[in-house]
Order: sequence, then C-alpha cells, then structure tokens
Amino acid sequence: METAISVRGLRKTYGTNEAVRGIDFEVQQGEVFGLLGPNGAGKTTTVEILEGIRQRTAGDVTVLGLDPDQQSRQLKDRIGVCLQATNLPDKITVREALQMFAAFYTRSADCDKLIDRLQLSEKRNAHYTTLSGGQKQRVALALALVNEPSLVFLDEPTTGLDPQVRLEIHSLIQELKDSKRTLVLTTHYIEEAERLCDRVAIVDQGKIIAQGSPRELQERYLGKSRIGVDVEQPVGPEGLPAFLFAEKTVISDDRKTVTIESPAPAKTLVEIVKWIDQSGLGLEDIRLKRPTLEDVFIELTGKKLRD
Amino acid sequence: MKSYITYISTQLRLTMRDRTVFIFTLLFPLMFFFIFGQTAGKGGAINQVVTMVLVIGVLGGGFFGGGIRATMEREQNILRRFKVAPITPMPIILSSLVSGLVNYLPVALMIVVLAHYRYEMPWPKQWLSLAVFLIAGVLAFRSLGMMIAAVVNSMQESQVIIQLLYLPMLFLSGATFPTSMMPTWLQMVSQFLPSTHLFQGMQLIIVKQEGLLENGWKLAAMLATTVVGILVSFILFRWEKEEKIKASAKAWLLVVMLPFFVMGAYQSYTRDNLAKNKGIERELRRRHTRLITDVRVFVGDGSVIERASVLVKNGKIEEIFTGQAPTAKSVNADEESAAGKTLMPGLIDVHTHLSAPGGYTDNPDYYNPDKNVPRRMAAYLFSGVTGVKSLGDGLDLMEKQAKLLASGEQLGAELFYVGPMFTAEGGHGTEFFKLLPEQIRVQAMAQTLRMPKTAAEAAQQVAELKPHGVNGLKAILESGYGSTVFNRLDTTVYKAIVAAAKAQGLPVSTHTGDLRDINDAIDAGSTSIEHGALHNEIPAETFARMKASGMYYDPTMTVYEAVLATAQRKTELLDRSLVQQAGPFGLIQSSKQWIQSGKLGDWSPRVPALTDGYAMAKKNLLNAYQAGVTLVTGSDAGNATVSHGPTIHREVELWVEAGIPNNAALQGATGNASRLLGVSNRIGFVRKGYEATLVLVDGDPTKDISAIERISRVFLKGEMVDRTNIFEDYDKK
Repeated sequence: METAISVRGLRKTYGTNEAVRGIDFEVQQGEVFGLLGPNGAGKTTTVEILEGIRQRTAGDVTVLGLDPDQQSRQLKDRIGVCLQATNLPDKITVREALQMFAAFYTRSADCDKLIDRLQLSEKRNAHYTTLSGGQKQRVALALALVNEPSLVFLDEPTTGLDPQVRLEIHSLIQELKDSKRTLVLTTHYIEEAERLCDRVAIVDQGKIIAQGSPRELQERYLGKSRIGVDVEQPVGPEGLPAFLFAEKTVISDDRKTVTIESPAPAKTLVEIVKWIDQSGLGLEDIRLKRPTLEDVFIELTGKKLRD
Repeated sequence: MKSYITYISTQLRLTMRDRTVFIFTLLFPLMFFFIFGQTAGKGGAINQVVTMVLVIGVLGGGFFGGGIRATMEREQNILRRFKVAPITPMPIILSSLVSGLVNYLPVALMIVVLAHYRYEMPWPKQWLSLAVFLIAGVLAFRSLGMMIAAVVNSMQESQVIIQLLYLPMLFLSGATFPTSMMPTWLQMVSQFLPSTHLFQGMQLIIVKQEGLLENGWKLAAMLATTVVGILVSFILFRWEKEEKIKASAKAWLLVVMLPFFVMGAYQSYTRDNLAKNKGIERELRRRHTRLITDVRVFVGDGSVIERASVLVKNGKIEEIFTGQAPTAKSVNADEESAAGKTLMPGLIDVHTHLSAPGGYTDNPDYYNPDKNVPRRMAAYLFSGVTGVKSLGDGLDLMEKQAKLLASGEQLGAELFYVGPMFTAEGGHGTEFFKLLPEQIRVQAMAQTLRMPKTAAEAAQQVAELKPHGVNGLKAILESGYGSTVFNRLDTTVYKAIVAAAKAQGLPVSTHTGDLRDINDAIDAGSTSIEHGALHNEIPAETFARMKASGMYYDPTMTVYEAVLATAQRKTELLDRSLVQQAGPFGLIQSSKQWIQSGKLGDWSPRVPALTDGYAMAKKNLLNAYQAGVTLVTGSDAGNATVSHGPTIHREVELWVEAGIPNNAALQGATGNASRLLGVSNRIGFVRKGYEATLVLVDGDPTKDISAIERISRVFLKGEMVDRTNIFEDYDKK
C-alpha cells in the first residue's frame, strides 16, 4: 500500500493561539481515515492545511506526493473536498453547478452520471435554493467528486443534518469507500467514525491523543466490558465473592444493582449468574456493555464529545 | 481559459435570472429616464437627461451590482466553495466586470434609442467614442466596486463605504443636477470624484461632439483605475468571511482613485473643466426648441415675410411656417410670442477695433484688452450684433477670444479677426504706438502690426498668419490728408499682400483714404474697401469697377458722425437708450464729460473740414448704392465715441438718412456682411437650416429704421441670450 498523506510535526498558530500543536499521522491509499474530536480541537485546521487552502506554521506535510503549501494548484486539481457550511448561488441549477466546477479541473467526471449516482436526478434542473438540507449536502458531495479524485476530504459531512439524512449520507460515503478512494473524514460523531472509518485519530486541543482502528482503540484503552446485574433482594453486607476475572465491583446504594468490569465478560458472567442462583437473591435483569469510542474519548480526555 | 469562460458564462446566466438585477439595471434607469425626460424634455435638456441616466446606471452597477454583490457572495459562504477548486480569484473579478457590461450596455443603447425617437435627441455623432468611454466607465466603477468588496469585513461595512462614495459621486458629479448650481468651491471638490469626469466626458462627447482624444486624460484615468482596481482586488481577494482584513487596507480605495485625485488637483490649478462645463451648458441651451410665433421676418436678402412662425431646434432654424403654424406644444417647443416684432438675422459689424475703449477716459482699466474685450463681445451680443470682425487687434488675444466664444465657454458675439494690420513703417496705424513705452511698444506692435518691406516678406508674413486662424487680412493704404501725413504702403508690397491672402483663401479689407487708394485696392483685387474717400467724390466708373469685380463697400459712417459730433461738442449720440444699456456706464460718463468740458482741446477749427468730409462720405455711399455696389456695415468701433455693442444700429440709420432704403441698409448689416465674412451658408439670413442666430426687435425696422435699436430678444446659435445678466461677470463692483 502506498502512503496518500504523510504528516510530521504539523503546527499551526494564529497569533498567539496554537490551533495545531504537533500532529503526526499517515493515511494509506484506499483507507478511510477519521479525525475525531470536539469542536475547536483543530480537525478542520488540519484538513484545510492538507487541502492546500491554509498555510502551515511548521512541520512536514505531503499529500499525494505534493506539498500543499508550494503546490496547492496541482493538489487542488487532484483532490475532492466537501467543506462544511458552503453555499452556492441561489439560482444556480444542480447541473450548472457541477458543470461549472468540472470546468475548473484537468480531469472531470460525467456530470449527469454523477447526478444519478448521488440520487439527484429529479433535482437536476432545480435551483440550489429550492433544495433540502440533505440534497444540498449531496450536491456538496457531488462537487467533491467532480474531478474524479483519488483522495477526498469530507469535513463534518453530516453536521446539522437530521438522523434520516445522516444515514443517507453515510451510505453514500460507504459507496465511496467501496470505490477504493482514500477518504479523510472529520467528525465529532463517534458513531460516524466507528461505522465508516478504517482508522481514527482522536484530536483534542491541537494534538492527536490516540490513533488506530476503532476496535484497536477500544481494546487498547478500554479492554474491559461492563456487566450490570439487577437483583430482587438487596445484596447482604458480606458483599460479593471474587468472581473469575472480575475487576472493580460497584454495588448501588439500594444494594439491588451491581456493576462489575471484566476483560473476559463471558466467563465472569457465567459465575455471577451461578452465584445469584445459589444465593437466592433473584435475578431481575442483566446487561453487557462493550466500550465505545465515546468511552475511549472520555477516558482519554475526561470530557464528553458533545456538551 | 476554460474555467474563465465557464465561470463567466454561468455568472451571466445567473444575473439574467436575478430579479433585483433586472430592477436595478433596467427598470430604475428607465423610470429615471421617463421622469426626467417628461419634466425636462424640450430640446437640449434631453441630452442632459440621457447623460444623467447613463451615469446613474454606471454608478449603481459598479457599487451595488459589483461591490455589494461580491461582498455578499463572500458573506454567504459561496466564494468559500471556490477556494478549494484549482482557480485564482481572477475569473471571479473579471466576471463582475463582464456582467457589468453585459447587463448595462443594452440598457444604455435602449435609452439612447428612446431619447432619439421619443424626445428627438439627435443621434450622438461620436457614437464610437461614446461607446468606448462608457465601457471604460463601467469597467472603472465595477473595479471600484470589487475594491470595496476586497477591503471590507462585513456587509454593514460595505454598505457604509458604498454610501460614502456613492452619494457624493451621485450628487456632485452633475448626474442629478447641473454642477453650475453649486458654488465654485464645491465644483472644485467634485473634480476629485471619478463620476464627475465620467459625466463631463459623456456630456462633451454627446453634446459637444468631442472624441476620445479630447477626453484622453479622463479615459486614461478610468482605465488606470480599472487596472489598479483589478490588481489590488486580486491581491487582497478573500474567499471566506472568517478571513478579516486590517482596517488600514481601506486606504487602497484611495490608491485606486488616485488618478482622479491627480486630475482634481490639476483642475484646481487650471480650472479647465469648470470652463468646459460652461461650454456644455451653453451647448445645451443652444439645443432648446422654441417656436417664435406671429412674427415679421426680415430674411436678410432684402425680402420680408409679413407673418410667420419660426421653429428653432438644435441651434438651427428648423422650419419657417408661413401659413398655418403648428402649436408650440405639438412640436414640443417653448413659445416665444412675437406679434408686432420683427425677426432678423443677427446683425454684423465688419469693422471694429476691440482693444480700443471707444470713448474718452484716462481710467487705465478701459485700456486693458484682456479685461475689456470679453465684455465688449458681450455688449455686441446684448445689442443684437452677433457677428463682429476685428480689423486690427492683438493676434494672440483675438485667437484666444475667438476660441472661447466659439466653444461657448464665454458668451458673446461670434468673433472674426484679421489679427495685425499691414501698413508701412511710419504708416497709418503706427501713430498710436508712438506714445507707448519702449518695452510695451515692441510687444504691442508685434501683435498688432505687420510692416513688410518687400513683396517676399509680405507673402511670408501672410503665410505665417494663416495658422493663427485669421479670417482675413487688412491692409492700410491711407496716407493722410492735409497736415497729417503717413508713409504709404508700397504698391508692389500691397499687391503681394493681397495676392498672398487670396492664395490662402483669405479676404482682404483695404483701408483707404482717397481715390488713389481705392483704385489701387481695386487693381490689386481687394475684397472690400473700408471707409472709402472723404475728400474725393468717388466717380461712377470706380463704383462700376467695384461692382464688376464683386467688391464690398464699407463706409463706416458711424465713426465719421462720432468724430464730427465730438468736434462739435455734441453728446446726444451717447444718450441713446441702447448705448446707455450696453455701457459701460463709467466710460460713457467720462466721454461725455471730456467732450463737454473741452478736455480734448479745441476741435472747432476742424469742424468745417469734418462736416465736408462727412457729407462727402454720405454722397459716396448713396452713389455706391445707386451703382449697385454691395454695401456692408462697419462701425470702426473703438474709435472716438463709437463704443462697442450698439454700433451697426446707428450705421444703418445713417445709411437711411443718406437716402438708402431701409431694406437695403438692413441687408448690408445681415446678408451682405455674412457674404463678406464668407459665412453666408450659415448666418446672415433667416432661412431653414441656417444657424438660429437672430435678433428680435420691437416694431418694424423696414418702415421705421430706429426700431433696430429696440432689441427684444437675441438668439445665438439657438440660445436665447440672457441679456439681463450678460454683464454680471464684468460689471461687479
């Protein structure tokens, strides 16, 4: 596999404010790479540097073998970008917009096919202002693909869209993923990253605090699942026995709910069920919760992604 | 290239869909056009209206179509999308310029067409210059709009800056009301605004039929603004509203308008444009449409139309209705009701000296030609004398005055001139300079006299005068009488002067004193005889020769009468109403005082000879008339008490006194004189297609010659002269 993007020691300062404080990562061709982090973490700044629309302060950056600062025109010609919060003129039609942008590039896709692919066929000749939010976002995606790019940047592609539309966009991105393009995605939606990304970098306060595949991260940082048990009778003062693999056992105030963490939840679970059965406390409910990226994030930063 | 074409063509399609563009670029200008046109649409004003509407369109398109739009596209995150595409800001900037042109030019064309068909505006003669100038204007103001977008950080800021620039440019440029209504200092301020130059340039092209060359600096300034505007807005271009620019960047606006500040500074020094504005306004007044109704017309060839209506339009006599005349309203004209009055061609004085005061005074103010000639030309116009020939004045001053009068920057009679007079060393004409101090004398004589010693020198001097725009030459043959004797121009040299002049196509006026002079003038082929002979009766065969060769006879009776009256210490001539009206008051008072008090010395011994001479002049005049010689009126104003302005009126009265019929005398002051000046194809007659250079008098001078002094109206090239205020600039205390 070849490297599509390589970032070493990237820094960006605005006056005294350090937006990006030394970031390193690589993206391989065909990979879907996610930058996950809260608003203001430096994700957008980072991708805009990669897109060649913002100059870096320090560090080495190579995108498709080009330096985005020095060769921004060549780079822009080869990448696709779906920016957050852009607009088109009110009275432009979908087709006109695609054709106009297609004219800017050396390579260009067949606009009509692109329209069909993004399920905009019915809106082909509709004015931009008449489109719904989801349709506008699909137009933005289409514009990012108008030059048949091998590398596509998607900056917060679903922010502000309702859940139904978000799913639509997700399936479109999934299609892109299947077409062997390299995708760089920024998002503050954990599910989006978990669902779409091959690899994720968690960004906070201008730094990458963890990176890997979603599963790797979960295992590396939170290798423990959590087992919750509700019982009918309160647990006695003698407490619980030491179950196999059980770590960190917490009993609730009313002594009717027990939370147990375990790196091997299946084995621990069998013992718990047996013990409850034997002690006659009466099993009311049982839950198994695997750790999520959100948990990883909270674990790593001590804060939630969405406040 | 592909990206430019696609971007620009897409933008054009988008502006076509934009209803606000339609309203601002089409409906508003048309609305203005019809409102202004309906209220001020008679004659010349429509030119003004068209210029106004066109300039308002250029300003609106530049500031709102260009500036606000570009800011809005950035604010609405539209430009942001283009930032990630591999293009520079250039297609975006150029597209604004191109849309400006595409949206505006059809409207401009439509307005000119409407003005032509609806309000009878003549087609602009310099239409190509107009188109180029207008295109440069659109580009300059669009660039200015793009510059504004480049230096503002928000819509609010752009609104403020646009209002700060747009409003003064709208109100001070002449685009909403004539700049002449503003005080001079404000007019000077307006010279620093680009729109003023746009407006004036368009007026000069539409109204004064100037080309691009005359407006080269204005054009260059607009192009400079365009180029600098494009470059700077390219460099400062921002794709996103989040990218803020320093407040100091607004200084770039001043840089872009720098060419106009330079022009403004230059104008505050020369004031050329203020003078040009006067010329434009003059031209607009000249284009007024007017119907002079129920008037008696003296045509200029001796014939009379007892009742007619004369339509004056675009400075010309459009039509003379002798039967049923249309109503003024139906021909979109102002009516000048003139029953009981007589309309004549403007009077012409073919013999004047404009630098001399025409009265007796020791006030040096009256001897300064630069100060006095403009007022004297105004006094002629005031008196209905619309054509004046100077037969001997400083060449430079005449050249300058003729231009100012022709362009309309200065209001006065049309000036024809010979510049210096040809005479002998010590000949007549040189005596006036003897009293002057050495330094002034050399200069004054160089301006006013030519004293060639050889035929070759004469020919060369004539050739040198031609490029100064002289309308003829004057040679002096008179060598004095009795105790006053002058050197006489050598006949060979004189003949060489006349021959050289004829070769240049210049008429020659020969100043004669006696019969010999007249005969020499006839032999040489002089165009006119000035004065004639006071001491000889000119024989019939001489007049026959004059008639045969088509020569003109200008008896200058007025100056003889004035000299005789002075010798007799009579001042009644100075008490005539028209003389007093034309003034200047101080000069007339002074003349009267000098004559009555005997300050001039005792002239009584000269009275008998002057009386005889005057009688002889009268006799010769009548003989000339009876011999069929073409007579023309000259006054020799500037001499004695023949003050400038009300001159020819007395001349024709004296002719009638001498026995010449009224119509023949009036013809000498109109049609005949215009022929002598070589302009009988445009003035001197009340005929269709001729210049509307006319005088309207109370009564009927064909029956009562004194009616000629009762001036009711004067028209110069279509303008009804504001006689009441004509001396305003000169007689301020």
